Amino acid sequence: MIATTIALAVLVALLALGSLGTGPVKLSPVTVLDALFGGGSDVQQTIVREIRLPRAILGLAIGAILGLSGAALQGLLRNPLASPSLFGAPQSAAFGAVLMIALGWADVRSWALPVAGITMAFTSVFVLLSIAGRSAGLLLLILAGLAISSLAGAATSLVMNLSANPFAALEIAFWLLGSLEDRSFRHVTLALPFITAGAILLMSQRSAFRALSLGEETAQSLGVNVGRLRLLVIVGVALGVGGAVAVTGTIGFIGLIAPHLMRPLIGHDPTRLLVPSALTGSALLLAADIAVRIIPSTTDIKVGVLTSIIGVPFFLYLIVRERRALGGGVA
Amino acid sequence: MLAALAITIGIGTAGAANAADLPRIASINLCTDQLLMTLADPAQILGLSPYARDAARSWDAAKAEKFPLLSGDAEDVLVLQPDIVVSGRYTKRATRELLKDKGLRVAEFDVPRSMDDVKKQIRRMGDLVQHSDRAEAEVARLEAAIARTREVAARKRYRVLALSRRGWVSGSDSLTGALLATVGLDSAARDLGLKLGGYASLEAIVSLKPDFLLLSEGSNFAEDEGRAFLLHPALQRFYPASKRLVLPEKLINCGGPMMSEALDRLALELERVER
Repeated sequence: MIATTIALAVLVALLALGSLGTGPVKLSPVTVLDALFGGGSDVQQTIVREIRLPRAILGLAIGAILGLSGAALQGLLRNPLASPSLFGAPQSAAFGAVLMIALGWADVRSWALPVAGITMAFTSVFVLLSIAGRSAGLLLLILAGLAISSLAGAATSLVMNLSANPFAALEIAFWLLGSLEDRSFRHVTLALPFITAGAILLMSQRSAFRALSLGEETAQSLGVNVGRLRLLVIVGVALGVGGAVAVTGTIGFIGLIAPHLMRPLIGHDPTRLLVPSALTGSALLLAADIAVRIIPSTTDIKVGVLTSIIGVPFFLYLIVRERRALGGGVA
Repeated sequence: MLAALAITIGIGTAGAANAADLPRIASINLCTDQLLMTLADPAQILGLSPYARDAARSWDAAKAEKFPLLSGDAEDVLVLQPDIVVSGRYTKRATRELLKDKGLRVAEFDVPRSMDDVKKQIRRMGDLVQHSDRAEAEVARLEAAIARTREVAARKRYRVLALSRRGWVSGSDSLTGALLATVGLDSAARDLGLKLGGYASLEAIVSLKPDFLLLSEGSNFAEDEGRAFLLHPALQRFYPASKRLVLPEKLINCGGPMMSEALDRLALELERVER
């Protein structure tokens, strides 16, 4: 496991460097490293340190929190299909942030966005887990998640229509697709505190997930307060996902995929899955964000679109694999 | 009958026509609103488009208060039965088709791409409202403004990049591009290979190093990510307020009587950033 983690960390570091080296202006790796540490021309420095560096940092941090949230939710619910995006958390967070954009009260680079995003993400996951109950079947969770994402989507559209900003519909439509382009350190400052807090909260509960994997009663007898654990995980996911969505829009399916990629390597222990899943999430998002800049296109491809295009077939594959469990869940 | 018509036209050009004889006109487009308000008699204007009173986008929003607003759809226009409906060439196609089907005369105004287009449109509206004398006066005003601004801009050959939200760059073959070219400023869009216009990345813009950016807003408030693009620290570093020419949207979004004011404003802005 340690070898895997180190290998992943190296991969993430390489992808982060790759992210710094990719962009519309061609810069050689030597120039990039030089500019990163204060050398090169004024323009090169600005490109690397003020345009590409915040983008790489956000990709790394947001990928990590999405992967970690996915692993934590799957551990909490003992359910391989659990993930923030299937539960409507990013969609709800997006609704909160869109509400702020559409009302035009707050600068999009202000704290209002993450706060609104986190509040709505918390509400959605909380409502979902309340509806689903303690030992919910797969089907129930997915249906409730679908309902919540649909509601968030509809509310978002309504807000778009009611906005006084004539560009709102276009801006919000772009924004919902999820993107890391042209973000600055102001965005990093907005998102990172919440992402860090969410990550610390989720990691602090790591040993409880292992106890929980033995069943809820066993976990209780081992001293795990399951009710409290649920609340802390919801808060952690909401902080992380809400903070992330507020600066990038919705980037889905990383939380679903990351833990699954790690299970064959790490095993099924939910506690040991957390850190590798976070690293895998970072690697996935950084790679996707490099890909959208390399794929030739007239306008920028949005990274959220790419993660969904990869994520949805993967989700279908998981459904096929879990078909029996899903079928049994109807009763 | 023909004689009567000839007399009417004769009196019309003499500027003493009975208001009842002049065509009554409805506008369903923001840009035709401006032309109409400038050139027609108030009694000729039956209604204006929904955005006519929007102070951010409509050049003469204050004057528009005096006229009824239309929904922009076909219904209220049909009820009014104007002699002429003026509209844009590309927007509201279904509405225009419907109005034509119902036998109304619809005059469509294209998006102007040059100062000559602007002059043509002013004259065309002048003909429609039968006040070509006013149109000629507007054209003369425009030519005077061009000459004034050219004098200011000619002092040094600047390269200017006209930039909007999300990094949209107005190309050389657009109204903004024409405005820059007319007064003798170099459009940096050409170096990006953009003729009609297109999106440019932040990286491309800072590497391009134009002398100035031409923007439609100078505030530091980002109401959405599209505006935040223009306030990105990388752009602010090379283009603080003293390197940004600001022409409000309502002066540049249409070709018409506001062009004279746009040119004068551009001259003022050039003088400001030169200081």
